[in-house]
Amino acid sequence: MNRAFLAGLVRLAITLAVIGAVLLAVLIPFALPHEHPGTVIAAFLLGPLSSLRHLGNVAEYATPIAFTGLAATVVFRSGLFNLGIESGVFLGGLAATTAALLLLSFGPFTPFVAIVVGAVVGSISCIVPGELRLRWEAPEMVTSLVLNFAILYAGVFFLNYYLRDPAAGSLMSYRIPADAKLDRLLAGTRLNSGAIVALVACLAGGVWLYFTRSGLNLRIVGQGPVFASHLGLPSRRIIMQAQIVGGMIAGMAGAIQVLGLYPRFSWTQLPGLGWTGIIIAILARENPFYVVPAALFLGYLQVGGDFLARDIGIPSEVVGLITAAIMLAVTATAIFQHPAVLRLIRRIRQVEAAR
Amino acid sequence: MTDRRDDGERAAGPAPVVAFDHISKTYANGTVALRDVSFSIPARTIHAICGENGAGKSTLMKILFGLEGPTAGQVLLDGQPVSTATRDFAGRHGIGMVHQHFSLIPTLSVTENIILGHEPKKGVLIDRAAARAKVEALSQRYGLAVDPDAITGRLPVAAQQKVEILKALSRDTRVLILDEPTAVLSPPEINELFSRLRDLRDHGITILFISHKLNEVRSLAESVTVLRAGQVAGAARLADVPDNMIMQMVMGRPVEITRREPRQVTGEPLLVMSGVSLASRDPADRLRDIDLVIHPGEIVGVAGVDGSGQRGLVSLVTGAARPGAGSISFDGEDMAAASTERWRARGMAHLPSDRFTQGGVPALTLIENAIAGTDGDRRFQRGPFLRGGAISEAVAGMVEDYSVRALSIGERLDSLSGGNVQKLIAARELATEPRFLIADQPTRGIDVAAAAFIHKRIVDAAERGAAVLLVTADLDELLRLSDRVVVMFGGQITAVLANEAHLTPERLGPFMLGLEDMP
Ligand SMILES: Nc1ncnc2c1ncn2[C@@H]1O[C@H](COP(=O)(O)OP(=O)(O)OP(=O)(O)O)[C@@H](O)[C@H]1O
Ligand SMILES: [Mg+2]
Repeated sequence: MNRAFLAGLVRLAITLAVIGAVLLAVLIPFALPHEHPGTVIAAFLLGPLSSLRHLGNVAEYATPIAFTGLAATVVFRSGLFNLGIESGVFLGGLAATTAALLLLSFGPFTPFVAIVVGAVVGSISCIVPGELRLRWEAPEMVTSLVLNFAILYAGVFFLNYYLRDPAAGSLMSYRIPADAKLDRLLAGTRLNSGAIVALVACLAGGVWLYFTRSGLNLRIVGQGPVFASHLGLPSRRIIMQAQIVGGMIAGMAGAIQVLGLYPRFSWTQLPGLGWTGIIIAILARENPFYVVPAALFLGYLQVGGDFLARDIGIPSEVVGLITAAIMLAVTATAIFQHPAVLRLIRRIRQVEAAR
Repeated sequence: MTDRRDDGERAAGPAPVVAFDHISKTYANGTVALRDVSFSIPARTIHAICGENGAGKSTLMKILFGLEGPTAGQVLLDGQPVSTATRDFAGRHGIGMVHQHFSLIPTLSVTENIILGHEPKKGVLIDRAAARAKVEALSQRYGLAVDPDAITGRLPVAAQQKVEILKALSRDTRVLILDEPTAVLSPPEINELFSRLRDLRDHGITILFISHKLNEVRSLAESVTVLRAGQVAGAARLADVPDNMIMQMVMGRPVEITRREPRQVTGEPLLVMSGVSLASRDPADRLRDIDLVIHPGEIVGVAGVDGSGQRGLVSLVTGAARPGAGSISFDGEDMAAASTERWRARGMAHLPSDRFTQGGVPALTLIENAIAGTDGDRRFQRGPFLRGGAISEAVAGMVEDYSVRALSIGERLDSLSGGNVQKLIAARELATEPRFLIADQPTRGIDVAAAAFIHKRIVDAAERGAAVLLVTADLDELLRLSDRVVVMFGGQITAVLANEAHLTPERLGPFMLGLEDMP
């Protein structure tokens, strides 16, 4: 267990190093024409660490993607590539807003109630593709992708006809009542109590996966489906549980994002947090304990990108470019497992040993 | 015989085809698999490599094949040092290997599998006609008949084995490595394979052959090298040494193997199958009109060529399939529609023949594999939480009892040698004190001492009153353990025989091949 954990950390570190290299490769061409190329790189790399407030920004960015990273981890661990978490976030945010607007106030428990509503409703987005897969063998990747857009359009319709504030300029809901909002933790940032929930959720997720019977069973079903049926494990139930839990976490992510950050619900596109969550899950090797550092890392990049845009005037599109390069690097970590690379590494080691 | 010996002495002249020169290997996790191994193999011979599970046989062969690099030492081919870590090493030097675990891709055709990695090209495209012709020529040349267009996964195991061998021979092979090729074959298929291998040797191919079965080694090979704990423990020409000396070299101590005294068990049977048939997509799994009873304390052995319906039979009594007709009852309860969960709840335990997909998850640790399926066991669980300390202690005990060779119980299952994986699975399944034990090839790929240990555990289970269904391709094992033997052919039971002293593999042969019916 400990050895495996350490090995995982080492792999994570290697992955981060590769990402760092990719980053510099993208950044340097933009930095070179600049008067002081060094300051560009420094702004990007050190800016996010330069003050407590900026660290708070990093954590603020990391909060929702830690949730979705956890959601993706749980869902993938069941062996299903269910992409429903993306619309789960959207649905969770919408449902939480609706609850906050329509339900009575529960005093200090109002955010709690709204988040639970968001989680429950949001889970639909993962449950439906999971059920279709188990019952009809419909490929979950396709059904969840289609469902994501179905949910988006249904949601926008709902927003337009039931929640829309005619007084607001564009399509957005009424103002979310103050007592439904999450507490802010750090002045000057939008960091809110949701961050603490995210941290606790990831730790709890790790404990569940590695220290409980049902977590072990989930890993067996996901990694060895034939073995699971040999043991007589109730595979369908276990897979379905993972879809429900993953979907609820995605819903929570949306609810906490909306209640923690925004004055009104105004998503008319899929927010993309689910996709980022998938990157995080892959980066964290589907281990909830590693989701936290992985999410912080992406948050750090995001804040660094903001620095470039704000202080240096490098267009914010570059941040998008960097994110794309990172996606490549993340998927390309498969390179590490490629036999040719393994052979190469071995040869390098042999040469070293020979010296 | 004598002139062959002369060959050996002349070996000082031409360099041996393969020589291992002070090879050591330490795996990334710290396991020392080989220490300072040196020996050589003369051309055009069949050379056996023996040794207990985890001795380092597969590791040494993987080094020769270029799959693993040695930590120290070198491989010499024809007396020249070579770097095995170069691209396409094995292909360029004419080294072919049949791995301990099948390496074919089941969804591809036989031709595709054989040419994979060195496809004949027409421009950028694969020249399918040339590929097919090549496979046919290979199959003709070496007398190994296969259908080039068949989907590999649908073939019986013996045929897949031929495909593996053809694949290994497909690159102008001079050296052929066979890592436990007979584990999945039945005796007639083994004889067939051996005569093919002798032909190959006469074609000028040098063969390295790994097996745990001494009689096979003796009938096929001319000389043997024994590995123990990663070191060369001895080498001999087989003509010069008696069996017990080889055993002594392999184990470092003598091992006693006895045939169990069969028992006549009467009374209420525990498992009753009557008139059972099974429909299945795969013809090898179909069953017709099976009648079978097993009493408590009785070991019933199933003999048959692979693909005679054994897999179907096992799937019915483990809850993996439902019969099309007929009834199955266990301890008086109707179990025809029972799930695996229910069979397990009634005390069924199953040693599966397929260790890496059915028997465990390669990427999980030994601990996790060993406690899988013990849901609700109070020793291992407090509420939903696993009790790490108690579990480690229990698994350490299992590893100790079954002498599983592992660096630590926290390692991944796929860091174990093949035989050690099998031992761990046996430990897990037998730990439950089953009432109904299905042992499907329980000692495939296991060394003699460990096999004797597992046999003892199976007999213990029977003595505690378990009904035991033993399915095995190893007829010695079958006759050593069974009270009664049933022979399957073409999805039917063709003979039920009491296991008396005069029952021999030769006597079973005609039934297994469907030449003779129930006496
Ligand atoms: N990939 C690996 N990583 C770490 N250790 C390994 C790995 N493969 C094998 N080992 C270890 O190396 C030792 C030798 O293994 P090897 O597979 O060569 O044994 P073997 O003689 O072929 O045994 P068997 O008869 O069971 O097949 C064992 O202790 C095994 O646990
Ligand atoms: Mg081996």
